[in-house]
Amino acid sequence: MSVTTASPSGSFVLLQVGKRRFALSARDVAELAPPVRLHTFPHDSPLVVGVIVRRGRIVPVYDVAPILIGRASGTHRFYLIASRFFGRVAEPSAIPLHGECELATGEVFSAASDAPPYITGTLVASGERIPVLDLEALVTYQTVAQSPASAPETPS
Amino acid sequence: MILFSVGRQLFAIAAESVQEIRSTDGLASASVELAMPDFAKVTHFFERHHHNWFIVSACAHFRLPVTRPTLVLILRRARAALLVDHIERMAEISAVYSLPRAFSGDERRWYRGLAYLDDNVIPVLDPVGLLTPEEIARLDFHSASLIAEREWQGAAQS
Repeated sequence: MSVTTASPSGSFVLLQVGKRRFALSARDVAELAPPVRLHTFPHDSPLVVGVIVRRGRIVPVYDVAPILIGRASGTHRFYLIASRFFGRVAEPSAIPLHGECELATGEVFSAASDAPPYITGTLVASGERIPVLDLEALVTYQTVAQSPASAPETPS
Repeated sequence: MILFSVGRQLFAIAAESVQEIRSTDGLASASVELAMPDFAKVTHFFERHHHNWFIVSACAHFRLPVTRPTLVLILRRARAALLVDHIERMAEISAVYSLPRAFSGDERRWYRGLAYLDDNVIPVLDPVGLLTPEEIARLDFHSASLIAEREWQGAAQS
């Protein structure tokens, strides 16, 4: 991960899904993980495509690409491990990414009135306008582009 | 644990949850076809200990591609038997991990949790999750009607 701005507060991780970049609050992000093997099994939870094993824990993987870019994730380079809260319990969650991440700070503007509920604002960093994601809203967003119940196993 | 496969998918089930393993051929003569088009996962039933036991297709239950099952796992704690392809092996599994909360669908009923064995994450079946009490009640009603109809036809012929 390359750091562009080293401000500890109000920092965002810029992540690449497909060819688009999004920002996620750095507070939610635990680490970047290599593209380890995805384990799949039958289930019917939307967006969840399987699990990976990371630091001895079983971590669910959400393919958010159908929502963000309109198609399944395909080959990815990293997993971003972020915390998703269920009440007070934090559960690590993995999101496949297609490119490197950067840490950035910048001014955050309100999201457009017609923005989907998982975009909470627009980060302006290095002259670029980047949608800021709300992870919880994103993974619970219902869409017809959701993943099927059992995705094929994709060893990597 | 007993590790078994359905198509390319590996599952585990506690050995104490399995009462008996039979070949599909061996059970064919003792089972009765249960034609319920809106309930495709249960194809047959058989009588055991004065109760009807329902044969559940693992493919249909888990929404997997259709395969050719060769074995039937007759379960304990559930009046169900599961059609599977192969028994892979027995394995000692020291820990079953909770299903992550991200999984929020029917799988919370299907699985006791996940096992991690030889670099594989394997779902561990909960036998009780194969059929809900409502489904069993419906199957009981349908199978009892079917038996009554057969007995009536048998009596009418004799």
